[in-house]
Amino acid sequence: MAMTPERHSAGLALLLLAACHPAQPLTEAQSAARRPADAHLAALYDGSCRACHTHRDSGAPLSGDHAQWDARWAKGPDTLLQHAIAGYNTMPAGGQCGTCTAADYAALIRFMADQPK
Amino acid sequence: MGTTRRALLIGGGVVAAGAAGLAGRRMWLDRDPAALPAIDGSGHVLWQNWSGTESAYPAVRAVPASADEAAHLLKTARGPVRTVGAGHSFTGLVPTDATLVSLDRMTGVLGHDAATCQASVAAGTRLFDLGPALAAIGQEMPNLPDINKQSLAGATQTGTHGTGRAFKAMHGGIVEFDLATPRGEVLTCNATRNPEVFNAARVGLGAFGIMTRFTLQNRPLTRVKKVTTMRRRDDLIDGWDDLVQRHRNVEFYVIPFSHWGPLITHDETTEPVRPRGPDTDTDGLAKLKAARDVFEFAAPLRFWTIDQAVADMPDQVAIDEGWKLLSNQRPVRFREIEYHLPREHQIAALREVVAAIETHRSDVFFPIEVRSIAADDAWLSSFHGRDSGSIAVHAYYKDDYRFFYAMIEPILRRYGGRPHWGKLNSLTYPDFAALYPRWTEALAVREALDPAGKLLNPYLTRVLRHG
Repeated sequence: MAMTPERHSAGLALLLLAACHPAQPLTEAQSAARRPADAHLAALYDGSCRACHTHRDSGAPLSGDHAQWDARWAKGPDTLLQHAIAGYNTMPAGGQCGTCTAADYAALIRFMADQPK
Repeated sequence: MGTTRRALLIGGGVVAAGAAGLAGRRMWLDRDPAALPAIDGSGHVLWQNWSGTESAYPAVRAVPASADEAAHLLKTARGPVRTVGAGHSFTGLVPTDATLVSLDRMTGVLGHDAATCQASVAAGTRLFDLGPALAAIGQEMPNLPDINKQSLAGATQTGTHGTGRAFKAMHGGIVEFDLATPRGEVLTCNATRNPEVFNAARVGLGAFGIMTRFTLQNRPLTRVKKVTTMRRRDDLIDGWDDLVQRHRNVEFYVIPFSHWGPLITHDETTEPVRPRGPDTDTDGLAKLKAARDVFEFAAPLRFWTIDQAVADMPDQVAIDEGWKLLSNQRPVRFREIEYHLPREHQIAALREVVAAIETHRSDVFFPIEVRSIAADDAWLSSFHGRDSGSIAVHAYYKDDYRFFYAMIEPILRRYGGRPHWGKLNSLTYPDFAALYPRWTEALAVREALDPAGKLLNPYLTRVLRHG
């Protein structure tokens, strides 16, 4: 898709905003306080993701921490979904969730990356 | 050009080429394993265990919310029906192309008795949640394993354990459980009610049914002091019997290609709380890997380098409730073999294992773990009837681990070891039958509960069915 001048301007503005307001790292406590609003997702999150994604020592990016997630999100949701299901570096395949569907993983990734739907 | 200069140039070129070749070899070996497709041709999502040794594309994923739902599921679902917790087992306990069951809707502390210090706990509760939940009612499990990601059912069904002379493995604290069976019933089992099932299925590999609830014999919440200190390897090995007697929980690691190793002790204390600091194990492991990468073929330099790095490391001390200190985050994935040996043979076997690795396997850099576990009476417990000393050898998840079977396992078997049910081993039915005195009785109980073999996947068929 070709980029229009308007899109260029919008993209430039976003970049400038990001440069002016670099994401501040979250603390473990701030990260641990987050929970998906959806009850189904919250149960999956509590049973699996939270164990690592709220503890810095786990090596996993803290849930909601843009300082850690934004570069990952830039790879694209499909790439992150593949990493979540099949494993990548310290991320174990499936994230220790025995019953998550692909849609669940996608929603959980979006929640942890703190990205709007 | 003079002869000497030419020789120097040629020699330097050979050294540089050799170094480049070794670096290239290491880069090649360090590549990530190829990822499996996230979804198969039938649209089924991949399941893979934590270490990446086992995988499957189950057609159905089921999440029963009660024991009755679990029993109905077992009666009606297509087999093999396998139950998964956190997927931390290295062996093929979980893979099924049919029905994979999660206990994630059966979690939490269901009730407790302060007088007896017992608690009723849903089987899918993850250990990282159980610690704080029990602490809130003034209780704790007597002991905990090194990692706390597992579900209570998964950990106890595989005989998962911590360390400590007087402490049984986790299943040693189970005084009652509810088991959903393939006949569609829910059995409550304890020492007097369905005692054969209680004895046979307490460590049951998820092959007797689906565990849905446990009553745990806990103990009052205690504060412990954790001390991690570097000691000379010979002192650790020679002093192990004394260390086991002197500390409530004690373990040590042998760092391969070093004369040193960390000793980790936990003892009860009334000293003020001193929270644990940030994890340093992961960084330490990265340094051991770096030493391996550079000096893989120069053992003396590797010994010297690691010794210099670790000898003067300061002690680490933390004081807190046990559930906060006994388990650890383990972000670096690995493969593991662990055997439980008669305690009197543990050190002799350890010496052979270390010598074999340092003679033949210069690629190994993960420390070798040494622990102590008390006997129990569960029929399929690796600790059945004998106090045990464990030896665990690890391999980085990108490294070859076949030497576990060719080199390590024969040593551990020669000393009468029994493998951890969740960790890599090559044993099959006749091997286990010779190691477990109540094997035949336990399997008779299993066959009565699951005559059609609905709970058996190919791995469990090799282990639990003869011929």
